[in-house]
Amino acid sequence: MAPPAQSQRSPSPSQPSGVLIMVNSKSEVSDLKLQLRQLAGSRAPGVDDSKRELFKKVISYMTIGIDVSSLFGEMVMCSATSDIVLKKMCYLYVGNYAKVNPDLALLTINFLQRDCRDEDPMIRGLALRSLCSLRVANLVEYLVGPLGSGLKDNNSYVRMVAVMGVLKLYHISASTCIDADFPSILKHLMLHDSDTQVVANCLSALQEIWSAEASTSEEASREREALISKPVIYYLLNRIKEFSEWAQCLVLELVTKYVPSDSSEIFDIMNLLEDRLQHANGAVVLATIRVFLQLTLSMTDVHQQVYERIKAPLLTLVSSGSPEQSYAVLSHLHLLVMRAPYVFSSDYKHFYCQYNEPSYVKRLKLEMLTAVANESNTYEIVTELCEYAANVDIPIARESIRAVGKIALQQYDVNAIVDRLLQFLEMEKDYVTAEALVLVKDLLRKYPQWSHDCIAVVGNISSKNVQEPKAKAALIWMLGEYSQDMQDAPYVLESLVENWDEEHSAEVRLHLLTAVMKCFFKRPPETQSALGAALAGGIADFHQDVHDRALFYYRILRYNVSVAERVVNPPKQAVSVFADTQSSEIKDRIFDEFNSLSVLYQKPSYMFTDKEHRGPLEFADELGNLSIGEAANNVVPTQMVEENDKDLLLTTSEKEETKGSRNNGSAYTVPYDGSSTSVFASQAQIESAVSNPTLAGHSPQASFAIDDLLGLGIPATPAVPSPPQLKLNTKAALDPSTFQQKWRQLPVALSQEISVNPQGVAALTAPQALLRHMQSHSIHCIASGGQSPNFKFFFFAQKFEESSNYLVECVINTSSAKAQVKIKADDQNTSQDFSTLFESALSKFGTS
Amino acid sequence: MPVAASAIYFLNLRGDVLINRLYRDDVGGNMVDAFRMHIMQTKELGTCPVRQIGGCSFFYMRISNVYIVIVVSSNANVACAFKFVVEAVALFKSYFGGAFDEDAIRNNFVLIYELLDEIMDFGYPQNLSPEILKLYITQEGVRSPFSSKPSDKPVPNATLQVTGAVGWRREGLVYKKNEVFLDIVESVNLLMSSKGSVLRCDVTGKILMKCFLSGMPDLKLGLNDKIGLEKESQLKSRPSKSGKTIELDDVTFHQCVNLTRFNSEKTVSFVPPDGEFELMKYRITEGVNLPFRVLPTIKELGRTRMEVNVKVKSVFGAKMFALGVVIKIPVPKQTAKTSFQVTSGRAKYQAAIDCLVWKIRKFPGQTEPTLSAEVELISTMAEKKSWTRPPIQMEFQVPMFTASGLRVRFLKVWEKSGYNTVEWVRYITKAGSYEIRC
Repeated sequence: MAPPAQSQRSPSPSQPSGVLIMVNSKSEVSDLKLQLRQLAGSRAPGVDDSKRELFKKVISYMTIGIDVSSLFGEMVMCSATSDIVLKKMCYLYVGNYAKVNPDLALLTINFLQRDCRDEDPMIRGLALRSLCSLRVANLVEYLVGPLGSGLKDNNSYVRMVAVMGVLKLYHISASTCIDADFPSILKHLMLHDSDTQVVANCLSALQEIWSAEASTSEEASREREALISKPVIYYLLNRIKEFSEWAQCLVLELVTKYVPSDSSEIFDIMNLLEDRLQHANGAVVLATIRVFLQLTLSMTDVHQQVYERIKAPLLTLVSSGSPEQSYAVLSHLHLLVMRAPYVFSSDYKHFYCQYNEPSYVKRLKLEMLTAVANESNTYEIVTELCEYAANVDIPIARESIRAVGKIALQQYDVNAIVDRLLQFLEMEKDYVTAEALVLVKDLLRKYPQWSHDCIAVVGNISSKNVQEPKAKAALIWMLGEYSQDMQDAPYVLESLVENWDEEHSAEVRLHLLTAVMKCFFKRPPETQSALGAALAGGIADFHQDVHDRALFYYRILRYNVSVAERVVNPPKQAVSVFADTQSSEIKDRIFDEFNSLSVLYQKPSYMFTDKEHRGPLEFADELGNLSIGEAANNVVPTQMVEENDKDLLLTTSEKEETKGSRNNGSAYTVPYDGSSTSVFASQAQIESAVSNPTLAGHSPQASFAIDDLLGLGIPATPAVPSPPQLKLNTKAALDPSTFQQKWRQLPVALSQEISVNPQGVAALTAPQALLRHMQSHSIHCIASGGQSPNFKFFFFAQKFEESSNYLVECVINTSSAKAQVKIKADDQNTSQDFSTLFESALSKFGTS
Repeated sequence: MPVAASAIYFLNLRGDVLINRLYRDDVGGNMVDAFRMHIMQTKELGTCPVRQIGGCSFFYMRISNVYIVIVVSSNANVACAFKFVVEAVALFKSYFGGAFDEDAIRNNFVLIYELLDEIMDFGYPQNLSPEILKLYITQEGVRSPFSSKPSDKPVPNATLQVTGAVGWRREGLVYKKNEVFLDIVESVNLLMSSKGSVLRCDVTGKILMKCFLSGMPDLKLGLNDKIGLEKESQLKSRPSKSGKTIELDDVTFHQCVNLTRFNSEKTVSFVPPDGEFELMKYRITEGVNLPFRVLPTIKELGRTRMEVNVKVKSVFGAKMFALGVVIKIPVPKQTAKTSFQVTSGRAKYQAAIDCLVWKIRKFPGQTEPTLSAEVELISTMAEKKSWTRPPIQMEFQVPMFTASGLRVRFLKVWEKSGYNTVEWVRYITKAGSYEIRC
């Protein structure tokens, strides 16, 4: 938090004297003050040079965060100079500190206004820019005059600066800007100025102003629409070659919003813009591509041709430029490939990784290789991916094995792939084995016919060499599922059960329970003792899920063994399709936002930036360093989000409709959180979910015979606290100001310390993970922040069908694995129940 | 909106701020801290150049020993932001004369602030063209010891130039000797499997020009590319001459090239900027002539000994030669001793990069020098970890050779005063990522 320690900084020998020597900043600053004062009135020759040195010092202090605002008066006094560099430094200084010194800023108005009338256009422009950068609300009256004349200046440089000045003014005081009628002047300039940079700046400014005004004023929203009207668009398009490359991006972005009236118009625009695909600036190329894709959405054939046309420029962009640029382009390619895999399938070699590429590029390339795989190229791609499995970069090696698995699940050439995967298992590298095991498990779920080959190899793997929870769980699942084919399955399971207490992952213990059950039904005599031990271990387990499952198995066995067998070992159907993790609506939405951050984050922009819903978080101070953005995400009342979703999601299909094509009126059921849960939920869990819950409740007087069979002495009524009868509203909504108000008013109902399980701590690398988890338990987050080891969260929940709120402050320390929880509630009587609920929800974090 | 950056920071590797420029108030002042805490001080550094922290997104790039960070609060255009950084760095370099690093920034921070003010206003990119900016932001402005009023004043019509239609060239240039230099620089990328089959191979080329021409000249460039030749034979209605034609996969041009004319007539015509610039870039995947073939055999003889034999064949013409050839042959970490025999050049073991580095200063065409080495390894207890063999990497430059076969057929200069010009054309092929698995 603190500015970089000054003592660390040693001036490098090549620096000019005195630029960055930090001895004692306080005495330095007062020293500077003295020197500046001496120079202020001086007219001696060479005084400008001494001033420069001093100014430089001041600016360098300012840059590294030393407060030099006390020099404000002296700096202003020294600013009476004709030296343009001195002026610039002074302007920079003034711009930085005017906000904290509004009174002193008044001093600068005078000389800035005078400079705005200088004969040199350079100085006029600079002064105007600085004047508008003061950002002091009560000085805006001084801006209107110079801005007005700046917009009419006969020099384009001044006009260009003035246009941006109008936008700055709007952000300081919107009403002043509107009252002075600046937007309509800008509009006139945009359509008539001879200078393209002025036009471009007008466009940016107007877009911002009218979008912001549109919510309150109908006229503004009409004006905003007018920006994408035919005359304006055509006017800009016809001049596009005169614009700078950056302004071209701006114009192209505007064009994507334009809806042409017929197909000939579409072709006209595309013909006009075709040569933009050859522009050296990748940003222009991407913007053009976006225009092409959007325009042709409704014309399937042309859309395909567009894909063909943009292929070469995109591939060029990938291979030229810095890795960061390639990363941005690859993200877009990935999006396109998901929509049209066949287009790039013959270019798969472009996505082969180079040895020295940064891992973020490699990762995207692996995804591309997975996506473009088809019948014709699978063999080459998989061969290449296998090369990476031996990569030094272990995360990439893992990804590439996963990629092989994904391709296998896409059904191409499974035969060859299975062989490869089995070779991985024989490579005897921990991480390779681990990843391969998980894959073999998924493969078997889809292609049970391969079980024979796979099991033979899997059987040779010693469970002692497998440490990673996921891999271990996969191995155990296979041991249970195919115990009849694996000679020593019961004994392997038995040895695993013996080490029950050393097994830290709840996931593994859950799988172990289920596997032992399965094995028991297939080979009862050999498994009996292991089952007993597993159930005993499970029931004594501190983890809620493991405990529950063990208890459930125990009871169902006591109730009826054949029912238990039907529940645990039902005939299985091969999984035909693994569900996609992202809904197609979300994907369309991302596609609509082509060439923006959405594509890189792989989520639509409203999920990560939504200014309209970003309420004023006044108690941000109390929240300390909490991230407002996260709050904004969650503050959005769910209903609103859904509406928002529908509204947003309409765009693609709506456009299609307006362009007269099929409207895929699919149901708009969008998950609130775009990242829907992983579909690779372990099959064991699904199995247990499948089982009829009434069966479990049925049992009390059922046969006790199984007890004898197991030789166990388990108490019939286990000491589990009965689950609290509190239901929460899944769609609770609360805006930050109410939360804040309530938090102030309500007394603390409950304050306690909860220990967090190690898996939870491990999963808490970022606050977001916990937020999603808690949300699945109907506990919503309103603000969160902090970093390891301390995370702080504010949650809220609502009682089902009642407007009774629970507010929670939760501080989690990951090093001590403890959570300090403070609960406040409208209804004090139920706070204990809610606390239990909260605790159980928190304890499940990281294990599900 | 394309970028609307809220702030730009330049940080050194320790995370100290070298330059900060806040354009908008919508991000807090502690953004640098956020960047330091969440990116620089975590393992995430370098895992992804775009990160979201709080409501803000951070784009960052490392350039020598400096991080340039752009902070945005909206859904910005990423490609545009990165391109902006790249262009800005190019601009700074042209001002500093070469290096862009921490020292250069510290020595020129006033200049950088000046430039940042001009190239971006309120978060929107403005003019980044060095030719124009140099008219009114002069390095002398910072350096000259006796700055007097007249010299500091910008060229009278500089601000007109700032935003003019031919933004890349100013009028009234006069040279005694009118010269044009044209360099075709190609880099070959190769990925070859251990069995010697080419997995991936392409050429990215660029045409660099240096123009010292008076007035407002019009230039026309003809290449032996397929489309251009076909178009020409069509126009002149005569069959195209036999000979090698090159198929360019994709071409991009400097903004000075008249793209409409390129699309209709397939000739590259342009009014060049003054001085150095990159005229065009292209990419070729078909018919690439690889300048070198590498034939490695690496045998692991037991646990402590390895035998490495590498033969490198130069496939280009016997009269040509390659310069600065470096072949890096990877060896295991636990290498203890090496001994070599080379038929040309010099080789040594560099422990820092776990490679045998074989350098050949001048490498004639149609020759095949070999290296044979014996490597002794320290025997380790952890024998399980087999050695993952990284690829052999190669660096080289071959003058007067293009891997694509691209040639300049003509370069015409036309100016209304009708002066004579001297044109110089050079070719060079370099190694891009030239990797051979072994």
